[in-house]
Amino acid sequence: MKKRYSAASILAVAALAFGVIAGAPAQAASKEIVIWADETRGPNLEKLMSQKSDWVRGYTFKIVTYSSFDALKAAFDNATDKSGPDIVMAANDWVATGAKGGKLAPLTLSAATKAQFTPGQLYDLTYKGKLYGLPVDINNVAMIYNSKLVKAAPSSFGDMVDLYLANKSTLKAGLCVAGGGMSWGALGVATAMGAYPYKITSAGAVDTADPMNAATVAANVSKYLLDANGKSNGFFPASDTGCKENFLAGKVPFAIIGNWEWKDYVAKGFKMNLSAVPGVTAGTYAPSFGSVSGALLTTYAAKHGVEAGAKTALFNIFGSRSGARAYQAIEGRPPASRDGAKFAPTAAQKGFAKVAGITSLPQIGAMLNGAGTSYWDALPSFWTAVLVDGKNPTTESTKLAAIFKANLAAGLKDL
Amino acid sequence: MLVSIFRGKFAFVLKVISLLLISAILVMLAQQALASGEYAIAIFLGLATFALNFVYLTKTSIPLKFFLPGLLFLLAFVVGPVLYTLAMSGFTYQTGNTLSKEDAIVQIQKLGKVQDANGTIFDVGVGKTSANELGIIYFDSLTNEFAISTAKARTVEPASTIVKDDFEIPASSPNFRPLTDNEFSAVDAQISELRFFYNDEFYLGLEGFQAASLYKPSLRLDEATGEFTSLVDGDIYRDNGRGNFANEAGKVLEPGWRAPIWFENYTKLFTDERLRTPFIEVFLWTISFAALSVLTTFALGLLLAIALNKAIRGRRVYRSILILPYAMPSVMSILIWGGMFDTEFGAINNLFGTDIAWFQNAAFARTAVIVVNLWLGFPYFYLVASGALQAIPAELSEAAAIDGASPRQIFNKITLPLLLKILSPLLIASFAFNFNNFNLIYLLTGGGPIAQLDGEIAGATDILISYTYKIAFNEGNSNLGLASAISVLIFLLVASISLYGLKKSKVLEDFV
Repeated sequence: MKKRYSAASILAVAALAFGVIAGAPAQAASKEIVIWADETRGPNLEKLMSQKSDWVRGYTFKIVTYSSFDALKAAFDNATDKSGPDIVMAANDWVATGAKGGKLAPLTLSAATKAQFTPGQLYDLTYKGKLYGLPVDINNVAMIYNSKLVKAAPSSFGDMVDLYLANKSTLKAGLCVAGGGMSWGALGVATAMGAYPYKITSAGAVDTADPMNAATVAANVSKYLLDANGKSNGFFPASDTGCKENFLAGKVPFAIIGNWEWKDYVAKGFKMNLSAVPGVTAGTYAPSFGSVSGALLTTYAAKHGVEAGAKTALFNIFGSRSGARAYQAIEGRPPASRDGAKFAPTAAQKGFAKVAGITSLPQIGAMLNGAGTSYWDALPSFWTAVLVDGKNPTTESTKLAAIFKANLAAGLKDL
Repeated sequence: MLVSIFRGKFAFVLKVISLLLISAILVMLAQQALASGEYAIAIFLGLATFALNFVYLTKTSIPLKFFLPGLLFLLAFVVGPVLYTLAMSGFTYQTGNTLSKEDAIVQIQKLGKVQDANGTIFDVGVGKTSANELGIIYFDSLTNEFAISTAKARTVEPASTIVKDDFEIPASSPNFRPLTDNEFSAVDAQISELRFFYNDEFYLGLEGFQAASLYKPSLRLDEATGEFTSLVDGDIYRDNGRGNFANEAGKVLEPGWRAPIWFENYTKLFTDERLRTPFIEVFLWTISFAALSVLTTFALGLLLAIALNKAIRGRRVYRSILILPYAMPSVMSILIWGGMFDTEFGAINNLFGTDIAWFQNAAFARTAVIVVNLWLGFPYFYLVASGALQAIPAELSEAAAIDGASPRQIFNKITLPLLLKILSPLLIASFAFNFNNFNLIYLLTGGGPIAQLDGEIAGATDILISYTYKIAFNEGNSNLGLASAISVLIFLLVASISLYGLKKSKVLEDFV
């Protein structure tokens, strides 16, 4: 019996030894720059990398593609020093939390690189005065109109409401949000009413004055979105459910759509009649978010010993005109650069880029996430309160204004 | 023949091979855990490997041969997470406070620099000096001269000796050679940290391999006291005991770290008005939701079980139909119900000709949640009540009937008490399950509606577990420490309920 246990022990030890050998972690290729991206950007980056082998001399690239943007976010939230990426293709609202949490590293641009982007685009990726990545493409929405229902582009918000009220019996709504949801996508309607979470000065800085006048917003909401009894007049639904379907079915003349979904509309035969949401004054337009997606530098790059290489990669690919154009020729989104509209690959993208150029409000996470109630939660609540629950628009506008004011004060500390 | 496979040399060899493979995998995982700095996991895996080999290669304990795998899984996936959650509930563990203190100090030091007022940045060539020191060569637009900077010194180079690259950027000189492709990557870690000398006030820091910016330090760490001093305004930043370096005015340096705050996350739940009110509201709704869910599903299940307990035509068909909701994946059912409750397109509003915004009004949303849970839960109670009804001796009802008891009296005085005695452990288990019914709330209403304009942070249909999820994974400001504290409270509540149920049902007594 002893002999049997001896043999067993030897085997067990062998197992341990085998385990140690088998378990020795593969040495990461130290000169490899790892980029994490979602399911659309990942394959496109692979194509870009295959076009040119020397984006950064002495380095190779490894693109890790996640099944969705949410999966990418979850992976980045859980990244460790060993597993984390050197560069991550992210949304601009990752910047505040990533920088605060020590996951993102700042970089400094030369004047020439800086000049390629608008101040707003760089602002989107800035936290407490430091830039954490390079803008890649623009995420924005634009208003599309159905030319079978609308003869010409509306010149004011009131034109759209009048058209709806005149044809109410055949329509489901006048204007609805098909892309971006009732907070991000619906900003254009909110700003048309005068509800700004913050304003940007002509110099490109955040205006520190109160962004919203509650009385003006309440008056506009009452005039354009409510009927004589203070109930919704049906022009603007408080929910985005069914908007796309209704627009495609010809039951809604105006819809706010995202620049990632325009192909669905083209496929159904719609022309890209794109514009910003008109303001209440004829000839003016209401700002919507024109946020950028960014290629962000992480603190893991330094831990992996590739920080200088990763920075160089960012400058050579997304910070250079040729690199950015090569990427957008594959990716097909509105490019984030001063002259993005000029080299956008398609007419639709040109349209979105044009809208972004006219009326973009930079998406500043520090102010939108807020001190207490975030912009993301507050605006849908406002729509529900005045359009569904029939609450007093003055009272609700005052509450919204107070939230925006508090968020502005909190956000200014983080800039 | 079959028995002989499990005995003798063949079985022994099979056992050793299996152990060998399992040990190899566990040691591999342990090593990975060690490499990642996860020492507790590495130790657990090492001990598990030892325990497996010891138990299966000796005859120390036969019962352990059966229990050990389950025991190890229990430790790894139940006890471990509970202990981890318990530990995290005693920490500041939130957005901005996720690193270790050592990592946070490294990051603060790296961020502790400011550019010169003009934001000067030079195009540079990276290479080595004739003394084999890492350096940069550049045209200094501030002094209009070419220069080489190393960590120690800056030397001016005659313009005539400079060789430029295709982009007119200085690349080499007799005292300076550019790096080769392989050298670039080889020196990355070193060169990224280097501060190239510019003058006594400023240094040049690399921005990639092609540019360097003028910086000066804005923070100094005093290693002896562990305090940071701002070189801009002289403020001193000390460890505030809450995971941040803070000055007298409370301004903190970012990032922070996970710091122990012991029971503060628990006390905050009861002392911080912003947390206490929603916590109590959510707690009360959680109790109501779980109780109503059990009550309604049990009532409907029992009603149907009684109805189908008698031999009626097509009973089998009815029974099959009634089990269908149980057979369908609940995720699908919840999403379908979500669509049915849609204000504009939903079947419910269309059917009744109403225009109810089901998920935008607290009372309607709560009603919808209960209705959907009734749909998902009644087949279970129908099944168990059917079985329990058949276990009640028919003689009892017959005797009562002979004594003149009405059917209602028979049900109230005989059937229901006996059923409750049999089913009470299941009712209590169902209550505990619904107490944590995250899927239903998350998929159907997302916890909403929330009156954010009134400053509410919890939704009308949020139960404790969905509220905890929101706190833990809030987009802008997640607070895992606080969420862990609530999770521990939920654990204690559910464990107490379960223990009470088990005690009542005397299951433990039978087991022992």
